Amino acid sequence: MTDPRHPSLDELAAGAIDDTDDDVLRRTAAIFEALDPVPAGLVDRINFGLTLEALHAEVAELQRSANLAGVRGDAVSDVQTVTFTSSTLTTMISVTPASGDRVRVDGWIAPAGRISVELRAKAETRQTECDADGRFVFDDVPRGLAQFVLRPEGDEGRAVVTPAIEI
Amino acid sequence: MTQVGPVQETLASRAAALFRAYREGDQASIGELVKLVTPILWHTARGQRLDRELAEDVVQSSWLALVRSAESISDPQAILQWLIVSTRREAWRVVKRADRVEPREFENDEIVSPADDQPDAQVLRSHGDTHLWEHIARLSERCQALLRVIAFADRPDYASVAESLGMPVGSIGPTRGRCLAKLREQLNNDPKWGQS
Repeated sequence: MTDPRHPSLDELAAGAIDDTDDDVLRRTAAIFEALDPVPAGLVDRINFGLTLEALHAEVAELQRSANLAGVRGDAVSDVQTVTFTSSTLTTMISVTPASGDRVRVDGWIAPAGRISVELRAKAETRQTECDADGRFVFDDVPRGLAQFVLRPEGDEGRAVVTPAIEI
Repeated sequence: MTQVGPVQETLASRAAALFRAYREGDQASIGELVKLVTPILWHTARGQRLDRELAEDVVQSSWLALVRSAESISDPQAILQWLIVSTRREAWRVVKRADRVEPREFENDEIVSPADDQPDAQVLRSHGDTHLWEHIARLSERCQALLRVIAFADRPDYASVAESLGMPVGSIGPTRGRCLAKLREQLNNDPKWGQS
């Protein structure tokens, strides 16, 4: 380089990437993150899709929601009730505030049968079985996004996955 | 343990470790892998001139393709490249089918004016970033597509990421290559650069 302040394009292109380049590229990433961000929720939607794929599961439809279930950010103090339907099962979920940011989740699956119920929350996954009437309970669940996976035992039917809802 | 010793941790090596863990039965690893790699795949799809909605579909398809062919992927170490290639090809396929944008191979380096759907620079916080963005926007579309993806990778992976994008060998890494050099030249010639 004859003039280090004004190297030619070829000299620059053949030069090793230096700290200034690193800084420029770091800032370039920040610019694209700000200008064209990954859509909110895309990562969750992808993971949801992969879960379905892994389970060969059917997606239940959110049938009816009361008290803004599925909507984030609103203060929910009362019981909220949500119903999911699939081709084989109908599941009603009631969420009751417990202490602080914890809730109790009561569920009722129809028709009843030997069905294992999984609750997937951000930080933990819990499992239970429904009783002879199709009822199940999860106590002391942290508020946040949660989804349910219902697995009929034996060959009684396909697994069903609910969309994630805010509880 | 999958990464032992003084090997520098990069996006590619972390992705490879998570993918191996997933293949060995750790289901939670796939969630971590999705979180780690989705940003660079997003910018890969967007760099291929897809609108945001189509880009989202394409990135989701790449992940489904990954879990469907997880067992048959012969080189788990190169999973980042696999995902970028898959995203780029799917983007190309969707572009041709949907006809929502005009497909075009990156063949020449001519300067193009910023496209109409170029992101709105108003959201940039610092003056220096606005300034850098103006220089990026003056690069050829091909160079913009390269640098926006490279910016999310780590230096040791630049060459392999560029290759995954279908760019010729030497596009970037270990030397600057012409796209980054062009950006540096513009910045060098800009008296306002360096003050920010």
